[in-house]
Amino acid sequence: MNLAIILAVTLILAAASFFITKFNKMAGGFTTVISSLFAMVAVFMLKGSIGEDFTIFYFNFTITTVGWYFSLVMLTAYSMTSFFNPYWMDKMMYPGSYNFMYLLSMAGTIGIFFAQDFITLFVFWETVVWSSAFIIQQGKSRKATYIYYVVSAIGSMTTLFAIMLAYSSSGTFIISEAFKGLSGGTAIAVFLTFIMAGLAKIGIFPFHVWLPEAHGNAPHTFSPVLSGGLVKMGAFVAFLSVTAFPAYEVFKDTFKIMGTPAPIYFFMFLGAISIVVGTLMAIRQEDAKKLLAYSSVANGGYILIGILMLDQVGFAGGMMHIVNHAVASAAAFLSIAAVAYRTGTTKMSEMGGMIHRMPVTYLVYLIAIISMAGIPPMGGFVSKWLIFQGLANNGMIFLAAAAFFGSIGSFMYVFRPLSAVFLGQTFTRDLKKKEVGFFMMFPMLILTVLSLLTGVFPNIFLRVIAQIQTSIGIDPITLAERTIVTNNGYLDALRVFIVFGFGFAIAFVLFIVRRKSRKVELMDTYTSAEFIHTRELLHYSHRFYAPFERLYENAPETMTAYKKLSVKIEELGGLAESIFYGHKPEKTVFWIMAVGIIALLIGGVV
Amino acid sequence: MSIMNFVLGFAMLIGVFIFQTTLTGLNRKVTARLQKRYGARWYQQFLDIFKALRKDSTSHGWVFDFGVIMALGGIMATVIFIPVAGFQSFPGLDNVFVISYLLAVGMLGMAMSAAGSGNPWASIGVGRALTNMLAYDVPLMIVIFTLIFAYDSSSLSELSAMQQGMGILGWNAVRMPLGGIVAVIALLGMLGKKPFDSFIAPAEIASGPMVEYGGKHLGFMFILHEFMTFIEVSIILALFFGGGATIWEYMLKYAILYTFTNLISGVMPRFKIDQAVKYFFKLPLAMAIIQGLVVIFTGLGVTLWF
Repeated sequence: MNLAIILAVTLILAAASFFITKFNKMAGGFTTVISSLFAMVAVFMLKGSIGEDFTIFYFNFTITTVGWYFSLVMLTAYSMTSFFNPYWMDKMMYPGSYNFMYLLSMAGTIGIFFAQDFITLFVFWETVVWSSAFIIQQGKSRKATYIYYVVSAIGSMTTLFAIMLAYSSSGTFIISEAFKGLSGGTAIAVFLTFIMAGLAKIGIFPFHVWLPEAHGNAPHTFSPVLSGGLVKMGAFVAFLSVTAFPAYEVFKDTFKIMGTPAPIYFFMFLGAISIVVGTLMAIRQEDAKKLLAYSSVANGGYILIGILMLDQVGFAGGMMHIVNHAVASAAAFLSIAAVAYRTGTTKMSEMGGMIHRMPVTYLVYLIAIISMAGIPPMGGFVSKWLIFQGLANNGMIFLAAAAFFGSIGSFMYVFRPLSAVFLGQTFTRDLKKKEVGFFMMFPMLILTVLSLLTGVFPNIFLRVIAQIQTSIGIDPITLAERTIVTNNGYLDALRVFIVFGFGFAIAFVLFIVRRKSRKVELMDTYTSAEFIHTRELLHYSHRFYAPFERLYENAPETMTAYKKLSVKIEELGGLAESIFYGHKPEKTVFWIMAVGIIALLIGGVV
Repeated sequence: MSIMNFVLGFAMLIGVFIFQTTLTGLNRKVTARLQKRYGARWYQQFLDIFKALRKDSTSHGWVFDFGVIMALGGIMATVIFIPVAGFQSFPGLDNVFVISYLLAVGMLGMAMSAAGSGNPWASIGVGRALTNMLAYDVPLMIVIFTLIFAYDSSSLSELSAMQQGMGILGWNAVRMPLGGIVAVIALLGMLGKKPFDSFIAPAEIASGPMVEYGGKHLGFMFILHEFMTFIEVSIILALFFGGGATIWEYMLKYAILYTFTNLISGVMPRFKIDQAVKYFFKLPLAMAIIQGLVVIFTGLGVTLWF
């Protein structure tokens, strides 16, 4: 399949979906399903043409393994989420434009990952940012769109600056050559600015503020794409910043921290801060979607640390975490969306006991969080294991401390929606609610199977990653038939899974042979001899970790800091205004002259 | 992987159950003597478990049952991976990360089942248990990280074999004394011994997660508790006290370590959960990081004795 055909078909279908929706909303929603499934299958078949170049109008593309890998992850998130679209059309403000933007942003991501030069990459990047911004504003809050757009813009403009700076010395926009021959101060400036779009997109501290706002307030059907897919665009830029810009080579003479050049270590450290901040903030959220958004911040930290390590083990872990987090996070967001479809809310204190109404959705969420928290036998464990091994190889103790904190803290926050939304007492309002239909259940089940597949047969995915590692010239991860080998030990995920099944089987048999238990009502519990008849009162979910939250409730918040900064900038503007535009016109003229002359003088000297 | 591995694994489960339950029974006596009581007979723990398994039980829905099965299944799978005095039913699968995260499957199952009972006491208990886990696990994992960095291995059996043959000087608890202290304090937290037992506080939150269990469910929880104790003590024993060259040495060391935690528990009051977090994130965390930095930058503790 030719890349040009894929892009053309998806773009045509995108435009078509807008008009189809005008006639029939449901049909418009199904167009997104068909189109995204087509794109996924077509991109999957591009595997055969790796290494080929395409030129479409002014845009140049090249098919690489890493692009193929990233865009499959992205299209999985898009295509699975699209199954929800037809059912949500009535809830959208502008369903036609939603479908159009949905497919347009999807086509944009394909362009990003296969771009051959930076101009192509940048054009498609901005397409994705713009079209997704228009989708986000159809959700609960307009403010979320502003924050999303401003943070994205800061990132992309800084990156554009880096690209131009590199162009001024190398004279080319081709990704693989643009950074050749950089050195000294220019190299550091290019590296520091180029990675910014990645940090902003992946939600690394201090750019993480947009994730909870955008993920939390976007339409329920777009949050899975944002968290599972679009955030991974940032990982791609991080990948480029250590491979296309050979950061380790350029900085090989700079000051090193634990064998890693200081500029790279600095960003890894930012990743570690994101893990801690994301975890702490996720623990105290009251909205399930915001909680998952902060968990994306924390997981973005793992991905960044893994990719920036650029070694045999940790890098593979980071790359694999992209798949695992995409799958798990999309599944978790989808299951919350399914619950919201029935109950109309994502606030955790307004729900309870949905497991008795929606058992399949519950299982989907359960498997997703097991993977997200990095517990075997799901995929998240394998990638976190690899990242830990990588950190242990290099002795990066502070990063490891953050990684452990995030890993164990994730048990705390992923359990909250599980307990508040699905377990506990069912609210009287929800007693008659039903499970979602098969069409919405289907993508969730596929993602669940994928989570299990990545955990039990990780080598399927790691083989692709090993190819990527070979293509960028580092040692590929050592893989035996079933096992992953590192110099600190090896992991046989299938056998771990089988033994787990064995233990489960023994427990199950033991449970079955004992006398059958009597089923009692949920309200029939020990209440210290109090009589409680209100289900809602017997459900403990609000401020679940109150004693722990109290320990850091006074900690400074990033958003507050930004607000303070904006006030200060406004004040500075006021000061400038009072100086330049006072009541006396001669004063204004004087300052304009003075500034003009100084500027001319500096210009002459430089 | 053959049938033999599974048979050995099953035999190990039986052996561990008998050993640990006996030890728990004996320790009930030790605690009683500490408190100037006579104490129950040493086999009382067995009687309690089998009595619970025989009785009628009530269930609060399928997740209440499923969680119990998942918890016991996950914990039993973890026990099978633990190397005991060089013996492993599934050789090569004793990676310390696998063990400590597989343990979490069991804990998640237990938390799920408890929260599924619909009792708010249970949810409060689970919330505290998870907070407690965050508190003790971070310092402990940093120390384990240090060990992996120092010895280039994350296999429990290899790490414990390296400490053998030099007597007490080979033990990591002696070579890396700060790490050893952190590990023992973390063990108290893992086992839910006082002062870190706020999540099961019987008089305060009606035994927390355990509040709704009765009959076979309670029996399952008792069995689970014995297995979990075995896993937790074994990890610390293998990593910091050299495991055991023979099964007898292993059992003796194990009994001493376990009884030691009970002796401390017997004379301690209880931390509130936020106090426990504050405690772990001050001294033990600092000690763990100092130990890590010493090992990473000076190699002291790894090379000194060779």
